[in-house]
Amino acid sequence: MKLELHATPEEVMRAVETLRQFAQEKGVPEKTISGLALALEECGSNIVNHGLRRDARQTFQVIIEITGDSVVIELRDHGPEFDPTVAPGRKPQAEEADLPGGWGIQLVRRCVDEIRYRREAGVNVLRLNKRLVSAAGKR
Amino acid sequence: MPLEIQIQKNIVGQGNGAVTIKLTGSLDTATAPELERELVPVLGGPVKDIVFDLASLKFISSAGLRVFSSARKALKERGGQASFVNLQPQIQEVFEIIKSLPGVAVFKDVAELDGYLAARQRSYTENK
Repeated sequence: MKLELHATPEEVMRAVETLRQFAQEKGVPEKTISGLALALEECGSNIVNHGLRRDARQTFQVIIEITGDSVVIELRDHGPEFDPTVAPGRKPQAEEADLPGGWGIQLVRRCVDEIRYRREAGVNVLRLNKRLVSAAGKR
Repeated sequence: MPLEIQIQKNIVGQGNGAVTIKLTGSLDTATAPELERELVPVLGGPVKDIVFDLASLKFISSAGLRVFSSARKALKERGGQASFVNLQPQIQEVFEIIKSLPGVAVFKDVAELDGYLAARQRSYTENK
């Protein structure tokens, strides 16, 4: 499933709702869906707020693939090169105001099994992977 | 999923001036600014304690946590605090991942919070 989205917070949430429905139809467990929804919200809003600076004329893409054993979410944007996987995490007990890529990336790391970033022909490609089958063979 | 914000004054504790804010729905990148706007007049008043009742909150992201964090900071500056009650498991989990909200108090329900606020009120009175 491929979504073409404008760079607004509302469009990020449209992608999250689409993911929820799609994953529910595919029988993905509710707890997994919650984590994936959070990961997509954080990565999408990072692109919208920092990469594309909330310019609604700009667009980005979200591609969702659900196979038998994993959910893959790929986000593609034309913003400046930015690798959130190397962004510094927020220090615990931090008192300072918002830092881009701080809390958000910490949450994403906890919600998915793998985060991969690459810059491809002027496009940021962020790929999130969540395995659906545990070592015991159960979801 | 929209966010519904209900603000109730002085319903928790015994006349301690706490404001309860009940959130329903999703506190995310699209709805966090709504809560931020609603908090402006609340924080503009003499309130010291804000209780966020999250019983009906289904989703929270870092955008929502940032609003809580700035409210907490504003209250701390005047000797008050932000408290959170009735967290659903998925919300509790997000709070646990981000342990960067020092000075906030999380209670399992309103009764537990009520006891805490009443005890604090007594301690204020005794220290006067």
